[in-house]
Amino acid sequence: MSHEYVPEIAVDREGNEHEVQGWQDDTYGAKLGFWLFMFTEVLMFGAMFLALTYYYTLHHDDFVIASSSLNRLLGGTNTVVLLFSALTMGLGLLKMRSGDVKGAKLMIWATIILACVFLGIKAVEWTAEYHHGIFLGLDALQAGNEHSKPFGQILFFGMYFTMTGIHGFHIILGIGIMLWLLKRINAGKVTPEHHILHFNIALYWDLVHLIWVFVFPYYYMIGADGIQMSDIQALFSAGGSH
Amino acid sequence: MDNNLVDYKSENGGYWKVLLGLLVLTAVTFIQPGMFLENYTFSAQMLIGTVKAWLILMYYMHLKGEKLIITFLYFSLFIVLVFFIIVIGVDVINFQFEDMSHITSGDTASAVSETHGAAHAEPAHH
Repeated sequence: MSHEYVPEIAVDREGNEHEVQGWQDDTYGAKLGFWLFMFTEVLMFGAMFLALTYYYTLHHDDFVIASSSLNRLLGGTNTVVLLFSALTMGLGLLKMRSGDVKGAKLMIWATIILACVFLGIKAVEWTAEYHHGIFLGLDALQAGNEHSKPFGQILFFGMYFTMTGIHGFHIILGIGIMLWLLKRINAGKVTPEHHILHFNIALYWDLVHLIWVFVFPYYYMIGADGIQMSDIQALFSAGGSH
Repeated sequence: MDNNLVDYKSENGGYWKVLLGLLVLTAVTFIQPGMFLENYTFSAQMLIGTVKAWLILMYYMHLKGEKLIITFLYFSLFIVLVFFIIVIGVDVINFQFEDMSHITSGDTASAVSETHGAAHAEPAHH
């Protein structure tokens, strides 16, 4: 069975018909479509944040105690790392739009390096928590045994590992699509005139940053009691929970 | 709307100004619990986070002037709130197993043993 090619026709404001050759130049459509994807992310993380807020009202004291045991300096360092990565991504896009392709590529590489730094710090943090017996599946986070933490803390850490894990997965995806973006730039598919892919990937990275803007205070700061000397000491220790 | 009419100097300066604002707010995030609104840390942190999010959305994500996308954004946030308040909220208000639930019970140990006991004694039917 053969399929006859049926051209798609677009009509301009004067009523003239044109055969559509492709949608690659539909910048606004591409941006709108990507925003629709990002709304699904907002819905997913929004629901998790709302659930977390509800649990916080139920187990206020446990949440504060559990939060105070997290390493705020490592979490705070990651906050600053992501902040600078959002800057480098934005500057990269600006350089691309202004015709500085080499500068844009350098900025994307800088963003990738900062993303790897973020993951490295997260890995150090999770490893330290694991060695302190706090990790999904370990006795402390299982109800009904002698090492069990209070249920509110189990809930807190369960959501902490889930949400920071999903966020970390988004970081890894971000690194992957940035490498793909570099490949597309090198192939001449993304240029100063056709940079919508770069624009959307920068949007994605800003969303990843935006989510962390709320993850950090939700988990690390609700149990904080101001900057303490122990925080400074923890900076120079192995990087574990204190 | 993004286009190729680039005022590099102005936009570059804008990025750095927003970075400065975000860094200041991050510093405020750190000092707030020991400095002000000590008894309202959660609310204060969310307020600071919201201001940071607004800066990121408007300037880094280029939403300034994008009325359609902003409308979609508000709509999606509205949907989350509606579902949370109406669907989950109504369910929570009418929740009938507060004493047996790990999540809602204040006395977790007894809730666990009661739940296990109840499970062994007879299955709960609703």
